Amino acid sequence: MSVMKTTRDVRGVGLSIPRPDGPEKVTGQVPYVADLKPKGLLHAKLLRSPHAHARIKRIDTSRAKALAGVRAVLTAADMPYLKKKAPTRAHAVLAIDRVVFAGQPVAAVAADELAIAEEALDLIDVEYEVLPASVDPLESMKPGAPPVAEAGTEADTSEAQAHGSVAGVKSEAQPAKAVNISQQARLQRGDVAKGLAESDVVIETTYRIPMVHQGYLEPHAVLAQWDTTGQLTLWASTQGSFNTRSEVADVLELPENRIKVIPMECGGGFGGKIRALCEPITAVLARVTGRPVRYVMTRREELEAGMPAPQVIIRLKTGVKRDGTLVALDGEVVIESGAFSGAVLAVSGVFLASLYKWPAFDVRGFEVLTHKPSIAAYRAPVAPHTIFAIDSQMEQLARTIGQDPVAFRLRHLEREGDPMANGQPWLSNGGAEVLARIAEHPLWKSRNDWKASARDGRLRGTGLALGGWLGGLQPTSATVRLNPDGSLNVLTGQVDIAGTNIALAQIAASAYGVDIEHVKITTGDTDVAPLTGLSAGSKTIYTVGTAVLQAAEDARRQTLEIAAKELEASPQDLEIENGKVVVRGVPDRGITLAAIGRKGNLYMSKVPPVLGVATPAFTQQAPAFAAQLARIEVDPDTGEVTLHNFVVVQDAGKAINPLGVEGQMQGGAVQSLGMALTEGLMYDDKGRLMNASLLDYRKLTAADLPNIETIIVEKPSPAGPFGARGVGEPPIVPAPAAIANAIEDATGVRLTELPMTPERIALAIAAQR
Amino acid sequence: MAKQILKCTVNGEAVEALVQPYVTLLDALREDLGLTGPKEGCGTGDCGACSIHLDGHLVASCLVLAMQARGRSVTTIEGLARSGTLTPVQDAFVRHGVPQCGFCIPGVLMAAAALLDENPKPTQEEIRYAIAGNLCRCTGYTTMITAISEAAGVAAKG
Repeated sequence: MSVMKTTRDVRGVGLSIPRPDGPEKVTGQVPYVADLKPKGLLHAKLLRSPHAHARIKRIDTSRAKALAGVRAVLTAADMPYLKKKAPTRAHAVLAIDRVVFAGQPVAAVAADELAIAEEALDLIDVEYEVLPASVDPLESMKPGAPPVAEAGTEADTSEAQAHGSVAGVKSEAQPAKAVNISQQARLQRGDVAKGLAESDVVIETTYRIPMVHQGYLEPHAVLAQWDTTGQLTLWASTQGSFNTRSEVADVLELPENRIKVIPMECGGGFGGKIRALCEPITAVLARVTGRPVRYVMTRREELEAGMPAPQVIIRLKTGVKRDGTLVALDGEVVIESGAFSGAVLAVSGVFLASLYKWPAFDVRGFEVLTHKPSIAAYRAPVAPHTIFAIDSQMEQLARTIGQDPVAFRLRHLEREGDPMANGQPWLSNGGAEVLARIAEHPLWKSRNDWKASARDGRLRGTGLALGGWLGGLQPTSATVRLNPDGSLNVLTGQVDIAGTNIALAQIAASAYGVDIEHVKITTGDTDVAPLTGLSAGSKTIYTVGTAVLQAAEDARRQTLEIAAKELEASPQDLEIENGKVVVRGVPDRGITLAAIGRKGNLYMSKVPPVLGVATPAFTQQAPAFAAQLARIEVDPDTGEVTLHNFVVVQDAGKAINPLGVEGQMQGGAVQSLGMALTEGLMYDDKGRLMNASLLDYRKLTAADLPNIETIIVEKPSPAGPFGARGVGEPPIVPAPAAIANAIEDATGVRLTELPMTPERIALAIAAQR
Repeated sequence: MAKQILKCTVNGEAVEALVQPYVTLLDALREDLGLTGPKEGCGTGDCGACSIHLDGHLVASCLVLAMQARGRSVTTIEGLARSGTLTPVQDAFVRHGVPQCGFCIPGVLMAAAALLDENPKPTQEEIRYAIAGNLCRCTGYTTMITAISEAAGVAAKG
């Protein structure tokens, strides 16, 4: 990307600028969906199945309908357009004849008050015939397991497409007798059996990572209202307003331009607010009542019936020569997708087989349906799971043959140009750089001293791991407008879930040639904003940033052309300085941006308004890597882990706003540590969630953690704006492996199942003694 | 059920509201008094997003019935910055870019304010424990500790 030069450094790209919504957020003034209260508001509640798998024999809503204050009670029978073979959760608005996970909505109520809606749920009589449930994915894979989907339901690969992360791996629907295998894929090269036979050391390990919830603090919420002309407006907490619009339009069979989605401040998404969930039913309730309807999920509903990250089971068998030469990798990945298909299967296979140089590999991946809530993305979907397996495996190999774990990884790490497992070449990335950088950290260099300093029966250890993300792509668009006072307005439809708007404004400032103070950025609703994609997959700055850069360059070119006519000079001889277009070398020959902007808005003026427009599509990803280091202490009797230090080194390509990048690194690291240490949705053998509260689903608190140290590395991406790469996903990837490696360093035991709770650690240590 | 009259002081002003006896203070503040700064993240007192001060003490307003506030003094995030000036902690939160999604921030700030009222020069450990009842999913807490330490004039160490 060419970057137009400015004659002076404007305040833009590279500065740590706090988000402009800070003052509103610290005073409680930013409205979220649940804060909206239009006149005539009704409250919605959903009756959810208590069973993981059951036939609905009868639903009687008459008592609920008779309750004063109840405005509507709906079941699937009221919605003839619902499809029995629902391809996604969004389409399964209310259960038809059969429920396939505990928590699945069966009936919906809208009432004057929330308490009345809740009372109405108790008055709906549902008769179930409980059926056997497929709860464990390995059991569910077997022929004869209780079927989850209706026969003939197509696999949903749109999540994989939305993240756009892995090309060239085709996942295929499974027609065989194993009815709950919804997708499978295989990546192969060379002769694995021969390689394993010829290896000096073969290590086989099975890694297991449970379902976890994305944990956004704001539960799903939506407000729906229809106007008298049949237009639907949705105020949504979403990571992609155009995506929400498309899904709702598809489910309700409406033209997209009859729906307006207004993206409200999103109180955390992390992948869990990509797909529509409660929007369709809320829209239907609003339509049948003719009133605005608000639906806010409770935390219990979030945990029981949200869209968590999948359980992933990875079996790896790897062989190396005594001198450390990698020989062969055999792998099997099972991704539990819950009741509906939609896992990003290929990411796991490609990372397993392509991060390090395996001459021979055979990786089989399966997406398996179970009678549990269907899954969705969670920040770098399945990458933390995959890296937990492959990085733990690399560490075990290095330790077994007595090689330095960093040197071992660096020696075998695939570099730019090396072929990935899907046949495509690795693109420019900073994987080796971040790993080399973290190995220089004093905490790594002094790891032997730390280990030796253990006292009072405690054990000390240090671990590191490398992980990353291939980078998402999606077409997008943006406009940059010059105002009559010389200021700029940037307009996109991109939801700002991560502080990206200030960074996009910085890109516009630097590309156009004005200070950031003169740039305002707006996320428009789906009626007014140019089309754009999801805020997901670490692609907002990489793709929307490019659109804003190009739109700002377009606006600059238009500005200089207008100025050239006014100044009777060539555009090539012009420069923007201090809010003024001047002739290079003749500083007093110039015209202010305000004058140009004004001329574009004057009655009878022949000067056109300046409106920069860009509509880029993309083909080239920018992989981004992070290395993380943990210094820990373990109490071998209780298994308690105390985290003393945690370091994140990450390649941002170019940190457009270092403050924002650090925020992503710190937050991502702590989510990663939560997966490592405490988080997991626990189900009983009937498929019912056992820890459906934030007391029992344990997230890390400030008291559990040290300050997270961040080190930004900048290896520019060839195609990103100013060399930027995506920064959201990489920091959630390495910690489970880094912690497992640190625990092994401290205790000598290898943990292979997450979360690594005190109980698991203590038992593993006891078993070893 | 018949509604009852709730009279109390909210952010320094006497207020009256008609509320159902089963309504939580959080719901009364949000739905009846229009103060939507306190957030509901769980409704069971586990996340801290609804934290407010009741007679100067930090409480989870989702665990308090509205009528329990009768005759008492309530401070919400909206009342923290009197006369429109940010408190030093709020100001430090802005400068350090603490708020990301922002949903937990009102509760965290109420917890931090309660801490500094009681203990103006807390250690980093004390700050960590003071906000341990507030879950945040975006920040990893690091910038919160830095900002609160700075506002209290105590050194934040790595």
